[in-house]
Amino acid sequence: MSSIYLFEVASQKAQWLSARQTALAGDVANANTPGYRAVDIQPFSAVLDSSPIELATTNPAHLSLPQSEAGALREIEVEPTEQTLSGNTVNLEQQMINLGDVNRDYTMSANIRRAFHQLLLSALK
Amino acid sequence: MQDSLQTALRIAASGLQAQSTRLRVVSQNIANAQSTGSTPGAAPYARQTISFESEMDKTLGANLVGVKSIGVDSSPFKLERDPGNPAADENGMVKMPNIDVLTELADMREANRSYEANLQVAKQSADMLNTTISLMKDA
Repeated sequence: MSSIYLFEVASQKAQWLSARQTALAGDVANANTPGYRAVDIQPFSAVLDSSPIELATTNPAHLSLPQSEAGALREIEVEPTEQTLSGNTVNLEQQMINLGDVNRDYTMSANIRRAFHQLLLSALK
Repeated sequence: MQDSLQTALRIAASGLQAQSTRLRVVSQNIANAQSTGSTPGAAPYARQTISFESEMDKTLGANLVGVKSIGVDSSPFKLERDPGNPAADENGMVKMPNIDVLTELADMREANRSYEANLQVAKQSADMLNTTISLMKDA
C-alpha cells in the first residue's frame, strides 16, 4: 500500500457513489411501474473488502487476471418497506433521502481529494 | 460501459418522459369528461389508461422506464337523462363518458410528484458531474 493510497480509496468511493446514483435513478424512474422491485448497491464496505486478487507473474508466460473493478458494485434488492397493489416497492421519500446522502458524500469525497491534492502540490512548490 | 452519472441522467430523462406522457393522457381524459357522441345512442369518449414498464437498455446496462401501453377503460358509461342532447336515445338517456374527474385529479397529482422526483435526480446527477469537473479547475 503506497502512502498516497487515499487517492485510490477516493476514486473507488466516487465510483461506488456514481453506481449508487444510477441504481437510485432507476428506482425513481420506475416509481410507478407495476411489479418493479426497488434495488440498491451493496454497501461501500463490500467494495473495500473485495480487494482484487492478483496472481503473481514470475514468468513472462504467466497470465494476469483482468482487474474487475465493478465486481463489487452489484445491485441488490432492498427489503421492501411498503408495497403498492401493483407490486411496486419503491418508496419515493426514502429514495429522496438516499439521493441526498449520495450527493453529500460525493461532494465530501471530492473535497477531500482536492485538499489532498493541494497538500501534494504545496510539498512540490 | 458508459459513465454511471450520465446513465443516471438518461434514466431520469426516461422517467420524465413517461410521466409527461401520463399527464397528457390525464389531461385528455379531463378535457373530454363531458364529450358525448353525436348521433342518438352513440358511445361517448371512453377513458384512456396508461401503464408503464421497466425496460432494460442493453447499451446503458440500466433499467429505463417506458410506456407499456395506452389502453381504453372498459368500465360502463354513465347514463344521464338529457332529451335535448343529440346523443339522446329514444328514452331521452345520454351515455356520458366513464370519467371520474376526482380520480383523474389524483392521478395528475401523482404524476406531478413522480415528475418532480425524477427532476430532482437529474439535478443532483448534473451537480455531481459538475463537482467532478470543478476538481480540475483549481489544480
